[in-house]
Amino acid sequence: MSSIRLSDYGPIVGKQTIEELHLLAEGLRGRRIKMVNSTAVGGGVAEILNRLIPLLNDLSIPTQWTVIKGGEDFFEVTKKIHNALHGEKLSFPSRMKDIFLEVSRENLRYVDLDQDVIVVHDPQPIVYVEAREKTQARWVWRCHIDISNPDEEVWDFLRGYVEKYDVALFSSPRFSKRLPIPQFLFFPSIDPLSDKNRELEPEFIDQVLERFHIPRDKPIVTQISRFDRLKDPIGVVKAYRMAKRYVDCQLVLAGGGASDDPEGEVVLDEVRAETNGDPDIHIILLPPTSSLEINALQRASTLVLQKSIREGFGLTVSEAMWKKKPVIGSAVGGIPAQIIPSLTGVLVHSIEGTAYQIRYLLSHPDFARKLGDYGHEYVRERFLITRNLKRYLLLFYVLSHPGERIIHL
Amino acid sequence: MDRNPFYFYTSSSLVELTGEKANTLEELVGLLKRCTGSAIFYHVFQSYRERHFAIEKYHSDFAQWISNSLDEEVLAERLGALDARDFTSIRALREVIIQIIEDHLQEHSQYRDRKGKTPFFFCQSVSIIMPTKYIAWDLKDFCQIFRSIGIRSIHYHLVEARLRLGIHTNDFSHWIRTSLNKERLAKRVEDIDIYLHTLEEIRRIILQHVQEEIGS
Repeated sequence: MSSIRLSDYGPIVGKQTIEELHLLAEGLRGRRIKMVNSTAVGGGVAEILNRLIPLLNDLSIPTQWTVIKGGEDFFEVTKKIHNALHGEKLSFPSRMKDIFLEVSRENLRYVDLDQDVIVVHDPQPIVYVEAREKTQARWVWRCHIDISNPDEEVWDFLRGYVEKYDVALFSSPRFSKRLPIPQFLFFPSIDPLSDKNRELEPEFIDQVLERFHIPRDKPIVTQISRFDRLKDPIGVVKAYRMAKRYVDCQLVLAGGGASDDPEGEVVLDEVRAETNGDPDIHIILLPPTSSLEINALQRASTLVLQKSIREGFGLTVSEAMWKKKPVIGSAVGGIPAQIIPSLTGVLVHSIEGTAYQIRYLLSHPDFARKLGDYGHEYVRERFLITRNLKRYLLLFYVLSHPGERIIHL
Repeated sequence: MDRNPFYFYTSSSLVELTGEKANTLEELVGLLKRCTGSAIFYHVFQSYRERHFAIEKYHSDFAQWISNSLDEEVLAERLGALDARDFTSIRALREVIIQIIEDHLQEHSQYRDRKGKTPFFFCQSVSIIMPTKYIAWDLKDFCQIFRSIGIRSIHYHLVEARLRLGIHTNDFSHWIRTSLNKERLAKRVEDIDIYLHTLEEIRRIILQHVQEEIGS
């Protein structure tokens, strides 16, 4: 886990913010927190916890991290549950439920639940709440996925567990459900000091462009995402081509996901076919350890696109905004929570709309710059890890004052 | 008159999702009638604090949604013109918002059921208020602290104070008037148009007024 200190964020978020965090933490010193999720590495949740937990400890709030253990069959079931919560139809036989429950209960035998607050992330360890009667802890379910349109059978099964928690946390008002427990808005966050987001030397950015044979002679329009149909890379190529009739530019499509995902390779082939040998389109396949390269490509871009058809929260939007890039994003998933139209970016609903906005922003650099500047401020206010940390501190107070709307410290 | 010091507080809030959403103006009115006062307060006064660095067309989330999602500019403008300084209770504010929308629907009943591009999600907030370590005994102290105090503290004392205290003023003016007996300065701070400036701009304007007072 990282050895980063809260004070390291001072130059980025300002002295007042750090002071406020210390002030809030004073009344919480010694409170014991446990975070539970399903993986220690890889994926957005682990990335956030890897930074959040050291920061909570740095504030003298002892925080532990437990990862649920299970075999291949367990994670196959949880993957299916995850997809079903996203709306995929699933037959959910009792054999699957049994595997899910048995593994969770087996884990519960070895976990220390003598805590003040237990935060369970996503559906994989949701059954842990069965042990709530044996503890004094307050229980929190942090849902990182969009459950607005779930498979009903799977949701009915999970709902019984969700309702046993004291509160639930969702990444967007769109993602939540009507529940008998209080629900709070918890945006995911980016870390401004991570390799993906930290400042880079201009020489390094140049090297990355050189390595991928991207010249600097025309504006660079970029989409960073997996080669996945839901990210609509074909739509991006079409929008670029429509825009290029009016403004000369080049397109960078960069992401991973093709090597371990058979469908990814098919999509990649389709994208290549769509490019029709255009030398101004750069398709870049990146291994999972390419945070610095992604950072450099975003920083070198004139515009950043996120033209998804469906999206989780879509934190790549905040990543680009943090780098002061004007972003054109589809109005899906968590993207509208990040883009205030014409203030922190531009929202689009079609390939044609995307093409028009590429033309418009490349022709109006002053407006594009303003979007980038406001986007940066908006991310500083809402989507940095320090804000996430603050939300947790506030939550710990709220858990000790149930039902109160104004809490005086 | 006693010279009480000014204690700087700060307020932070956690946004609670109510699970309620409106797709049409009729649904919006229905929810406005039964939502908590905290939801009205959040959508009119608190959520814009997160966009404090820019001046938008409308501060209120209701006006924003009606403009962006329903393209009902006339109604959005009417709601957008509401001035926080005219209200000292959420109840009064709620009644006026409902009245404006209902009047509009009377004139244009065809808009009653028209669906917005996106729903309006009702949220409310839980506020956590805490004292900072900063205390001003006179205008010089005030100036020094005010230069670097957090934006949330300024919002708390300048905007939230009106509804919290039920007074037609704000904490700064109240202190300047009652403790320092400087009516002119108190009035100048009260007269700042909080809708036309970012909170950073307001910081600069207040500092300028205070410095002028010290120099006069």
